[in-house]
Amino acid sequence: MGSGLSYALAIAKKDLVTQMRKRFEAFSMFLFAIIAVFVLGLVLSSATFIVPDPETRLIVMTEIGAGMLWVVVFFTGMFGFSPVFISESETGTLKGLSLAPIPAWSVYLGKVIYGFILMGLVELFLVPISMGLLGFTFAADVSPIFILATFCLGTLDLAAVGAMASALTMPAESKATVYPIVYFPTATTALILLVEITRMLAIGIPLVGPGIVDLLIILSGHVFAMVTLSATVFHFTLTS
Amino acid sequence: MNTKRMVLYILSLIVSFVYLYMVWIFAPPELNLGERIRIFFQHVAPALIGYLAFGVTLVAGVMYLWKQDLRYDLIGAASIKIGLVFTTITLLSGMIWANASWGVYWNWDPRETTTLILWIAYACLIAYRASVNDRDVRAQYGSVFGIIAFPAVILSYISIRIWETLHPIVITGEGLQMGPEHGMTLMVSLIAVGLVYLLILDLTYRIDSVAERLMELRMQRSG
Repeated sequence: MGSGLSYALAIAKKDLVTQMRKRFEAFSMFLFAIIAVFVLGLVLSSATFIVPDPETRLIVMTEIGAGMLWVVVFFTGMFGFSPVFISESETGTLKGLSLAPIPAWSVYLGKVIYGFILMGLVELFLVPISMGLLGFTFAADVSPIFILATFCLGTLDLAAVGAMASALTMPAESKATVYPIVYFPTATTALILLVEITRMLAIGIPLVGPGIVDLLIILSGHVFAMVTLSATVFHFTLTS
Repeated sequence: MNTKRMVLYILSLIVSFVYLYMVWIFAPPELNLGERIRIFFQHVAPALIGYLAFGVTLVAGVMYLWKQDLRYDLIGAASIKIGLVFTTITLLSGMIWANASWGVYWNWDPRETTTLILWIAYACLIAYRASVNDRDVRAQYGSVFGIIAFPAVILSYISIRIWETLHPIVITGEGLQMGPEHGMTLMVSLIAVGLVYLLILDLTYRIDSVAERLMELRMQRSG
């Protein structure tokens, strides 16, 4: 007998091992992200004509680029998170998970951990490439702890929402069409906060308005709300 | 028609007329906003009742998952539709107000943005419910979605307290930050829109219940 968390880790490990065997999902996510960054970078390069002054252009590129990074992560998440339950449902292994003598929330948590690690791996490569192509860097006076906390909380939030959206998509008629309409509204709240925080990390702390710590606290609250709400009601998606 | 329903209909009608009188005649022009204050009442009341409608969806979702009674699902689904109508009125009246005050319809103000996300979220919930064919599964999963969509309502409500925004904070811990005439008008607006919400909720629930029963009968007849 193990704890709910150890079951969750076992499920995450099972998914990661399966992913390592297949490889194509993580690689496809990464490729999609790179293509998206490339296209956005291409569009942003037109700022050279729109904003001729190099100093102003740098500020504009920093502000837009930092926000665009999360837009790319957000859409990449649609590829990465959507199969977490849908594939289990299609291959018939979901029945096994729902009948396993483990709490339903540990199944959900396992999928969140898997999504977090998968997206984290993609971000490890995506962030430096985005910084190069979208033309932004983090401000020198910002503590790396804030940067790390933002990416950890943001990825966890999107993984929590993405896993639940995948579970909700299982009974839908056209899964590929329905997944975005479940994922988008629940993840956009986090996206707004993440764009705002990352913009602050790139341009430095603003003198007016909320600080990074305030927004990180709100983001933590959102992560907590999404994980606890979803974990609490998750068993209803396994029992119908 | 039963007595309670009749009382609700008559009360809604009377309070709606009082609301019209107070908004257009009783409330004096505001010092800074002038006559534009009249848009304010028709903007804030639907916004707050819209939040309430989505709150009812949350509670109905919890109740359905707990009791497995389809009536709660019908209430929750009806409340989404009405909440969307009120949020649409909020967005449109906000745009009219923004154009009158700042010369543009849309400012990407945090409250505007989060309210638009809220509208999209619950519109997606309606689309999602339509994509699930099995009635019980739709109720079960729709309830779960209604619960996890609610943080968007909280963010929309607290957005003016988080970010610098064009929206003034009217409701604070010390009460309403406005003159007594405007405060009274806002209160009447809230009651009137709240009653209209209840009235439409009741009508929608009854229509949906009949449609549900009709579907059941058709299914039984078709074997």
